This record gives sequence, C-alpha cells and structure tokens, in this order.
Amino acid sequence: MHDFQIWLVTTIGGRSAIADVMRTAWAWPIAESLHFLGLCLLIGGVGSFDLRLLGVGRRIPIAAMHRFIPWGLFGFAINIATGTLFILTEPDQYIYNPSFHFKLLFMTIGALNAATFYLTSYRRVFAPDAPLDAPKRAKVIAVISLCAWLGVITGGRLLTFYRPAACEGQQTALLLTCAP
Amino acid sequence: MNIDPFLAWVESTALSQWVVGSPSMFAFPGILTLHAIGMGFAVGISAALDLRILGVAPNVPISELRRFLPVLWAGFWLNAVSGVLLLIGYPTKALTNPVFYLKLTLIGVAMVLLVRISRIVFFGRGGALAPPDPSISSRLRNLAIASLVCWTGAITAGRLLAYTYHRLTQLH
Repeated sequence: MHDFQIWLVTTIGGRSAIADVMRTAWAWPIAESLHFLGLCLLIGGVGSFDLRLLGVGRRIPIAAMHRFIPWGLFGFAINIATGTLFILTEPDQYIYNPSFHFKLLFMTIGALNAATFYLTSYRRVFAPDAPLDAPKRAKVIAVISLCAWLGVITGGRLLTFYRPAACEGQQTALLLTCAP
Repeated sequence: MNIDPFLAWVESTALSQWVVGSPSMFAFPGILTLHAIGMGFAVGISAALDLRILGVAPNVPISELRRFLPVLWAGFWLNAVSGVLLLIGYPTKALTNPVFYLKLTLIGVAMVLLVRISRIVFFGRGGALAPPDPSISSRLRNLAIASLVCWTGAITAGRLLAYTYHRLTQLH
C-alpha cells in the first residue's frame, strides 16, 4: 500500500489548474464552507432518516421521511466534490494522514451499510402496509449509519492534528502515515 | 474600551490553557469535533424543517417533525458549550475579529427564526397541517428561506474565522 500511496501523491502532485485556483486567497475557505454545508445536509437528510428508523417522530410514515434522503445525498455529493478539490491541491496532507484513512474507512462503512439497508430492509420498510415501527434490522442499520457518519466527521475534523511529518526510518504499518 | 486586560486574564486561566495547550485529543481537537457534530444536528434538522416547509417530503406531516426538536436543541446546546470552551481557549482570536460577531448574530437570527417557525407549525393554529399543506403561507416560506440563508451565512462566517483573525492571543 505504501507504494500505491506514494504513486498517488506523485501522480496528483498538486499541480493542476484546479490546484492553482485552490491556492488563491478565497478558494480554499469557500470550498471548506461548502464542505461544512454539505455535512449539515448529510446529517439533516440521512441522519434524520436514521433517527426516524430508530423511532423519533414515529407517526411519520418511513417512506415519507425517505424523501429527505436525496438532500442528504446532495450534501454528500457536495462534500465529495469539495473534498476532491482539497486532495488535488494538497495530496500528501491527506493520503499520508491517518485521520484521513479512518475518515475513508468510516465512509466505506456508511456506504456499505446504506447498501445493506436497500438490499435487506427496503421492501419491508416501504411496503404500503408497513408498520410505523421499523424492523429491528433496520434499526441496527440506522445506529451503524449514525456512528459511521459521526466517525467521518471526527476523522475530517481531526485531519489537521495528524498532519504527516517527514518519514524517519522504516514504516511498518499497513498504511504510510508520514511523508517520504 | 480596551478589553485586552480581560482577554489576558481569560487566557491566563487554567481552563483556557487546558483547552489550548493540553496534548490530549479530548481538549482542543475533541471540542472542535463536538462543535462540528453539534452543527450537523442543529443545522441539519433545522434545514430539514425548512425544506419541508418549502415543499420537500410533502407526505411528512409537518407537525410531527416537532419530535426532532429535542435533537436539534441538543445539537444547539452542545455547540453553545463547545463554542464557549473554544472562546475561552482563544478569546483574543474571536473577540477582536468582526466576523465572529457576524457569526453570532447570524446564529441568533437563525434561532429566532426557528422559534417563530416552531410557533407557527408546531404550536400554532397551523399545527395540524395535513398534506399537501395548502395552508403553508408565503410568510412561513419566507421564514424558512431566511433560516436557510442565516445558517449558510453562520457556517461560512464560522469557517472564515480561521482565515480572518488579526491576533491569535495576547502574546501575538
């Protein structure tokens, strides 16, 4: 994985028209602001649906509540876009950052968990005669979803405290967490 | 009025020095993380309510969204507490920057709007709004739009605090 990380950082290189724009005075702060707005939409859309599955607002039909999900996905799309801008500009600050590795791990858990919901619980939860109380499996998925996205926020917020230093000696961990 | 002596005193307190100086991840990094999580729930749920008023998820009985208010307020209070701790950590950085006052003003207006929206849709005559909510007035829509604008501004101002401060501490 070390070689792949080094290749990735070298290939991106932070040299592109996008990186040049991101280095202007206002581009980075504006992209960060959008990243935080996307976070709020994600929690407001996906997080509130998870809470509904767990029984908050239990008189709201789950299928009706699901209409907030596209707005959560919209927020997520904003964050993928703005997040990509950050990585394209300062690749080493993310690709060697252990906090970013955890952020990606939690994102993967969140995505797989959401896929699991649609594969296993969608029909039962969205049937016309579905009970207002979500099945237990859907509630477990909702808890995992909330934890995963809070993990993503935590990983993102802690990035700045785990900035990779220059490598000293041999790295034995699975992922490189210093800049060679 | 010179507030520097006051700021210097805050920075000299043990709490301020713990927030800023402790190597623990539960100090400054942890407080910052809680501040982002609280924002997600407070703004996210407030935005969901605004979007519902503006026509999103039309089959959600709007009065039932009041069940989410405790989560919204929990996020708000989490951010009030974590925000005060961050302020105690870096009082000079925040209080000498006009953008900080802009952020607080926008949050204040957003919360006033939330209370006014809540009164109308949860506790007022419109409390039993049924789909498709013909009774959502243009005034309510305007309040919802203003709420979204204020939150967007508050988040942007908050993020800009890292870039617009003049002095970090009394030592600088």
